[in-house]
Formats: sequence, C-alpha cells, structure tokens
Amino acid sequence: MRATSRKPGKVKIQPPMTPMIDVIFQLLIFFMLMPTQTSEGYLTTNLPRNEGPNPKPQIIDRDRIKIELVEEGAENQSVTIVLNDTLVLGSSFDGLEAALKGYRAQGLPPDYPVLIAPGMAVRHKWVVRAFDAAVLSRFTNIQFAVPG
Amino acid sequence: MARVAKSRGGGDVGFNMTPMIDIIFNLLIFFMLISQFEQLKIEPVTLPVSRAAEAKDPREYVNIVINIVKDPSSSYGGIVKIMSEVVSSDISRGIENSELAQLLIRKKETKGKRELNVILRADEDIAYEDVARVMLCAGRAGIEGWWITTTKPDKAL
Repeated sequence: MRATSRKPGKVKIQPPMTPMIDVIFQLLIFFMLMPTQTSEGYLTTNLPRNEGPNPKPQIIDRDRIKIELVEEGAENQSVTIVLNDTLVLGSSFDGLEAALKGYRAQGLPPDYPVLIAPGMAVRHKWVVRAFDAAVLSRFTNIQFAVPG
Repeated sequence: MARVAKSRGGGDVGFNMTPMIDIIFNLLIFFMLISQFEQLKIEPVTLPVSRAAEAKDPREYVNIVINIVKDPSSSYGGIVKIMSEVVSSDISRGIENSELAQLLIRKKETKGKRELNVILRADEDIAYEDVARVMLCAGRAGIEGWWITTTKPDKAL
C-alpha cells in the first residue's frame, strides 16, 4: 500500500491589526492638535481694575502716547489714525508703527504709557492693528480707552 | 498501514492583553483631548490678523473664553457668547447690573484667589463698542488678564 503524502494546507497570513490601529490613533491625535496650535496667537494686556479699595485708573491726563482711531467710510469699513491729537496718519498702520518706533529711538522707555482710543464704531480688526503696531515697537504698557 | 500521528491538541488559547490595554490608553487620551477642546467652546469667528501675537498655552491659566460673534441682523454688531450661551453685555442700567458683569463676578468668586484670564475671541468686523463693554464688565469683576485671540498673517488667506 502506497503511503499518501499530503500537501501541506494553505496557511493564512493576517497582518497584525492592533499596531496599525494604534498608529492611526496617534496620527489622528497629532493632526487634531496641530491646527489649533499653529494658527492662533494671543495679544496680551492688563485691564484697569476698577473695583475694590485700590482700583487702577486708566491712563488719562498724564504724559502718554495717544493713538486715536476714527471710523471712516461707508459702514465704518475704514479708519483714520490720529497720533497725539496732532499727527494724522491716514489709514496707514505701517506709518503708525514707524512713528512709534521713532519715539522709542528718541529714548522713550518700553513702559511709557500708550493709550489706544478707538471710536465706538471702529472695527475690531483696526484696533488689533493699532495694538500690533505698539507691541512691534516694543511698548509694554498699552491700554485701551473705554467709555467712562 | 501507516499511522498518522495526531497532535494532541487542547493547549490554552489566551488573549494577548497588551495591545488591548494600549488601545484603551489611546482612546482615553483621545477622549480627554476632545473634552478639553469642548471646554474652550470655540465659536466660528473670523479672527483679526496680527503679526505681534504670541503662541501661548491657555491651559497654564484659569480662563474664561468670551466669544463675540457677528450679529446677522446688524452690519457690525456683535453677540457675546460664553460656553455657547448668549450673554447680555448691556450696561445701560449700570455695569454691575449687566448679566455679563454678574457672571464674571460669580466666576471670580468661585475661583477664589486664583487669577482669572479673559480670552477674547471677537470677529474682526464687529464694532469696538462691543469689545469695550466686555472690557468694562471684566474690569468691574476685578479681572486683569486680557488676551485677544488673533490669527497669523499666513493663515488669514
């Protein structure tokens, strides 16, 4: 009687799924975190604290740099910049930044008070641009005028 | 006749627990991060562009995120939202009587001595008047930290 030889059966090879799922989760978490960390930034300042026994007053009648923003155009889309009640810079924030850097070059210290006084209808983006110009000129004591 | 030897089966089949624990940890981290983003309650706004803004980690501070979204019924009016709830910032009856100031005062009291930080996420097209009212309410509540959220110039397009 002849011995029958059997062919070995097919062996199923299955790739290990667990590490693949693991890596997919890691990639998912990575890409979820990346956009929120790189697209937004913060401009920081301190508000005048007006409660309690020692409220901090706003910069009012003291030596300070005053940046006034006046709404212009249809639906207040544009703005006019007035520096220290005298210098009208049009709508050029680059001009404002140059003027502020000029003040620093003349020897004004970084903590010299800067007051940003926007008109109530000025768009928020122009106020941020003015704040930007002050920060880029290395001023650190920047406050906003609010209706008293 | 040749005998075909049979292997004696009956070995224990056990689960390999290590990958399962690994995946559970991943799920835990995933849902913890999701819940953290949920806490910030970010509203969809068009942020103003800033070149001087710094990348800071808000999780190092105790924060209140105040969103000011565009009012669809007005060309440059804003609606104040905190944790997806609309909050009135009307100060016509006095700052301390406004809903926003009272909410901020309550939050400050519950946080005790820990310094609070306001993170403002305002749409770039809203009027400064809405931001000024929020500032007044925050000042009235004794909150000093004020962060204005902006976007970087290359992300604005």
